[in-house]
Amino acid sequence: MIHDLLSRRLVICCGTGGVGKTTISAALALRLAQGGARTVVVTIDPARRLASALGMSGLSDEPERVPAGALLGQGTGELWALQLDAKATFDRLVSRYAADEEARTRILENRIYRHLSGAVAGAQEYMAVERLNELVEDGRFECIVLDTPPATNALDFLDAPQRITRFIEGRALRLLLRPGAVGGAGGLGWKILHAGSGTVLSLLERLTGAQLLRDVSDFLAGFDGMYQGFAERAEAVRALLLSEQSGFVVIAATEPDSLGQAVALSERLTADGFPLAGVILNRVHPLPPGDPPAPQELARALAGAGAADAEALAANAAAALADERVLGLRDLEARRELHAAIGSGGLIEVPWFAHEPVELPGIAEVAAVLAL
Amino acid sequence: MTTTGVPGPPLSQRRLRFVLGKGGVGKSTVAAALGLATARSGGRALVVEVAGQHRLSQLFSAGRVSEETATELRPGLFGISIDAERATEEYLAGQLKIRPLVELLTHSKAFHTFAAAAPGLPELVTIGKIWSLAIALREDGGAPVWDTVTVDCPATGHGIALLETAGNIEELAAGGPIRDQAARIQEVVSHPAATGIVIVARPHELAVAEAIEATQTMRGHGLPVAAAVLNGVHPERFSTDDAPALATVAEDPGPLGEAARAGLRHLERQEDDDAYRARLAAETGLPVIDLPRLVRRRMDLPALELLADALAAGVPGAEPVR
Repeated sequence: MIHDLLSRRLVICCGTGGVGKTTISAALALRLAQGGARTVVVTIDPARRLASALGMSGLSDEPERVPAGALLGQGTGELWALQLDAKATFDRLVSRYAADEEARTRILENRIYRHLSGAVAGAQEYMAVERLNELVEDGRFECIVLDTPPATNALDFLDAPQRITRFIEGRALRLLLRPGAVGGAGGLGWKILHAGSGTVLSLLERLTGAQLLRDVSDFLAGFDGMYQGFAERAEAVRALLLSEQSGFVVIAATEPDSLGQAVALSERLTADGFPLAGVILNRVHPLPPGDPPAPQELARALAGAGAADAEALAANAAAALADERVLGLRDLEARRELHAAIGSGGLIEVPWFAHEPVELPGIAEVAAVLAL
Repeated sequence: MTTTGVPGPPLSQRRLRFVLGKGGVGKSTVAAALGLATARSGGRALVVEVAGQHRLSQLFSAGRVSEETATELRPGLFGISIDAERATEEYLAGQLKIRPLVELLTHSKAFHTFAAAAPGLPELVTIGKIWSLAIALREDGGAPVWDTVTVDCPATGHGIALLETAGNIEELAAGGPIRDQAARIQEVVSHPAATGIVIVARPHELAVAEAIEATQTMRGHGLPVAAAVLNGVHPERFSTDDAPALATVAEDPGPLGEAARAGLRHLERQEDDDAYRARLAAETGLPVIDLPRLVRRRMDLPALELLADALAAGVPGAEPVR
């Protein structure tokens, strides 16, 4: 799978929350860099998790070189990382398509825009996709690995460009409310001009108050003329994501719920025509070999080794071993289920590590098991 | 735990609780266990799930939890699922009173454009619905319908957006019914006597880092964080005094060594857990409640009962003072 990923421009890591997406994304990026590619790993997560996983104090909206020199060996690969700043990306997008300085300022200073670009989840997902677009155009990187945002629906971000352009397109309200379009008339003027929708607007106004409605209308009016540019970009990203230049990697944990969601995710990706490169089953507990020891024998051995209360200690050690067996069996079953659902091609297992893989040495440990 | 300097009464006395944390830390389980703790002490508990997660039905092996009315999952424990679209219609119906007007609005393109452009409208109707459940009074005598309302929030970023939305809208809309509504919601959600946010983490680096950051963000926005839960703590089976004997036996190549090595691994994790707990407590200033790691193939009701026990023991008066 890794070999296959080296030939793609974009690697999109998806999966539900808590499966280890950020760690795996970082490890995949390191592996690709070790394979010789100039690689950047992108996270949308505002919680600085990628930075802490890479042992860096912080990341910004511009790619930063990860000090992974020794881990990269003699190859030509490089590892970079960036953390998406949704607001900055949105501002750039607006600047790119605004007709003039005035139109640009009008949007950037609109109160609705300021809340929308900073706070709303859908906008963030859209910006993740847009940032990918920028990085592809930038041309500096051979491989771009995206750690997708946490969402109830792990594929929300794929629909985000379409959702945003649809709302910017929202002609109904824009035409009705564009200041000046009805000669500066108030609610009454709208009613006269657009008898059918007038009732709707007055109803809306009753709910929102005139000012909020006016702000929304100003906001939408500000995007006038930009729709085409936005729509083309959304279309371009979608085409890229659907092409063989992209590879989707689904990350699954071995818990039953997570497994089911990963299978559903893989199926949906395939059904929608997105190129699925493989599935990574993360944190697989090994099954302890052999049978558990006889309790008295274990207690005797521990007493011989100087344990104070050997029987209690033996019982606790046996309990710890029993836990490992339960998890080992559960994960065996998870592997079997996953094989049955998606086949064994393109499936990589990452073992559970006794110590959590954090910072660069930890990420390197994970990268080492992602075989080429 | 008034000693920790968290403003407001203990969690037990706050009717509205929001359970928040990184994806996969066990928010649904903690929310359900908090509700169960109320129900077992004779109270009426409502657990709310949002954004079509349907985890409650899985936990209680019940049929799908309804979006319309509360479904009784266990005696005294009810669940409800909030769907933003339905909540919007309900809200409009309450405001406009006249059914055909509601339909006119929800079927119009202008309304959908507005709904898509107005930032946070789905979040606002969701939090509005939660608020109305928390303040609902019984028709006879006016006692509250629910002793506790516990919300299983979406993962951190989206969860915080949900909690901040009323404040944002209050700021955004200069006047009008939506602003008034948002202000009333914000008053309850930000009030430490009414609301308590429970931040959940697992003893892992990224989950703990996220919990600390989320706590600081929410405090910065005046939201009442009441407690932290560390979920999946390894039971205290070993002490460092046990290490030498375990290490000696771990040399054995057979089953004895296997058991001793499992013991040593467990001890290491115990120590990691202690370090994470200390860091969580120090950097959030919150009381930290431990929930034990339950090793089983699937979360089930008996497991949930164990967690409810642990919560009841960990939160002074996790059960409502009635």
